[in-house]
Amino acid sequence: MPAVLVLAVVALYPVLAAIWLSLHRFILVFGERRFTGLANYVYLVGDARFWSALGNTAYFTAVAVTVELLLAVPLALLLNRAFPGRGLLRASVLVPWAIPTVVSARLWAWMFNPDYGLINRLLGGAEINWLGAPGYALHAAILVDVWKTTPFVALLVLAGLQGIPEDLYKAARVDGASTWRQFRAITLPLLKPALLLAVLFRSLDAFRVFDAIYVLTEGGPANTTETLSIYAYKTLMRSGDFGYGSALSVATFLCVVLLAVVWLKWLGREEGRR
Amino acid sequence: MGRLLVLFVALGLVSAGCKRSSEEQGAAGRTRIVFKFQPLWGDPAPFRELLAGYSRANPDVELVTEALPNSSDLAHQFFLTSLQGKATDFDVLVADVVWVPEFARAGWVADLSEDFPPARLREEFLPGPVDSVVVEGRTYAVPWYVDVGVLYYRTDLVPRAPRTYEELRRFTRDAMAKAPGIQGYVWQGRQYEGLTCNVYEAIWGHGGQSLGEDGRVLLETEPAREALAYLHGLIADGLSPQTVTGFGEEEARRVFQEGRAVFMRNWPYAWSEAQAEGSPIRGKVGIAPLPTKDGQPGWGTLGGWQLAVNAHVSPARRKAAARLIAHLTSPEANRVLALHYARNPPRLALYDDPELRRAEPFIASLKEALARARPRPVTPYYLLIADVLQSEFSAAVSGIRSPEVSLTRAQKQVDHLTGTTVEDAQ
Repeated sequence: MPAVLVLAVVALYPVLAAIWLSLHRFILVFGERRFTGLANYVYLVGDARFWSALGNTAYFTAVAVTVELLLAVPLALLLNRAFPGRGLLRASVLVPWAIPTVVSARLWAWMFNPDYGLINRLLGGAEINWLGAPGYALHAAILVDVWKTTPFVALLVLAGLQGIPEDLYKAARVDGASTWRQFRAITLPLLKPALLLAVLFRSLDAFRVFDAIYVLTEGGPANTTETLSIYAYKTLMRSGDFGYGSALSVATFLCVVLLAVVWLKWLGREEGRR
Repeated sequence: MGRLLVLFVALGLVSAGCKRSSEEQGAAGRTRIVFKFQPLWGDPAPFRELLAGYSRANPDVELVTEALPNSSDLAHQFFLTSLQGKATDFDVLVADVVWVPEFARAGWVADLSEDFPPARLREEFLPGPVDSVVVEGRTYAVPWYVDVGVLYYRTDLVPRAPRTYEELRRFTRDAMAKAPGIQGYVWQGRQYEGLTCNVYEAIWGHGGQSLGEDGRVLLETEPAREALAYLHGLIADGLSPQTVTGFGEEEARRVFQEGRAVFMRNWPYAWSEAQAEGSPIRGKVGIAPLPTKDGQPGWGTLGGWQLAVNAHVSPARRKAAARLIAHLTSPEANRVLALHYARNPPRLALYDDPELRRAEPFIASLKEALARARPRPVTPYYLLIADVLQSEFSAAVSGIRSPEVSLTRAQKQVDHLTGTTVEDAQ
């Protein structure tokens, strides 16, 4: 019972408070506060900036998680093999994940600098305006996220790999199955729950992305990298518009819940099938 | 319930203050006041001496200084949460030029009209800064140092400073033909407050105003459309590099400083760097008011910081705080800030000060530009709308949306934030 109480205070109260606040026009600076019902949500539905933030967030999540998965599976397969120095390599791939996001984002911001950054120099003196051009900035942010979280996904996949009994491979080899066949017929299907779990973790996380993008671009240029979290943060903390900021937070919350429900349903189905 | 939430937000920041405010009486019955400001770059000794001067003249006051983050955004966030929570752990605060109307309307900064009557401020200080601290005829802060947007040009590449936008474009094109590989006009195009300053300068240069007669923030206007089209056109025509949409002050300065650009819009701070020993462009740099559409000297955006008093502190502390402000904004203090920290004085008389003219002829030469400096829209809603302006201006400048669409979108959001739409709906 005390646990329920603690949970209610810690988890439920802020959510309910945000929902209640989102029904007000509440500008902190003016001490202005009055109930306006669903006015904030009516405005939200017609707010082009909200929809573009939602689109950016969805795009960022979909691309980043897909790429991370595609890179993490080979990486995990590699780490799963026995070779000298494996322990050291396993530990060292986690380094990007261990660096605080703000620090690594700052690092990347320098590397992306069009004038003296490392990236353009590596591309043979290209003059790509990574963080200032609309088409590039979001992809630059995705690159930073991929760099940072692929090791984490690889680790989840590795845990899944180690749960696959070695006997299955032995039997397959006796039957003369090729390595590719073994991967298709044994590894991938048995890895599916671990992959889905990784996707669940990562997409919920990526959907709330804030720090990396905020440090890289603050949502610019022209809000092409603005995610829901950044929009909500700016509205709440910079502008002190608590009513609309709360409405944005609630909208983000609903999206994440929806995403979680969809993934969990899928995960449950997979689990049930086994 | 909502109030409770705000309380939670502010709690972390304020709790330290609550403990301390009980020690309002400093050692030996002296009034203790706290001055909250961003440390000035440079040798700390002259500023320390300036503060010591106040302590000597006011032995009944114990003066404490506390540092603020250098980022204006973070400092604003700090004041937003702590002043909303009625914090009393600081007395004198520095306010960015766009904060004063906001804080005044919220009742967070004290009315200083008695100690600093608006009429006297108008006599002694530059007009722009006074406009930004006098709200509805009352003084809520005193200008401390000022800043203004100016145009830098390469004297070896162009015949003289351009007066019109057309001249700027022509001079840039000619210089780029003369010196292959050089970039044209660099300015601040990244999505942040610096971009808003650049855009407003272009709006004023095209004959626009920031506010309508009724105080409404006006964006859907012909001059604003022309201004955004002009800035985007610079990039589209190759007169400004593509990368300018990722530039802040320092990015622009670095390119110009290395001798890789013909023109630059920036704040006066870039001058001393450009003229420093070993600078590739030393002796080849001119500085001028920004160009305009019709050739009259342009209006630069007003920047800079003001000193205000926390409205929540006791009358005794308020008095001591007002005296500190008087001391820190005296002509003598203006001179210290100008000579040792290259911060431009807001006091008119200083520009004719012989010592300053001799030591820093450059500062004296800025008088005209500073006299024509204009504040961004003076409205209590500024901090709410700043974010909208940044994103929509950024979209137009980088060519994602047309100026028309950007301005329509901006106007809609600004009207919503300033309450026009909500009121209309009811």
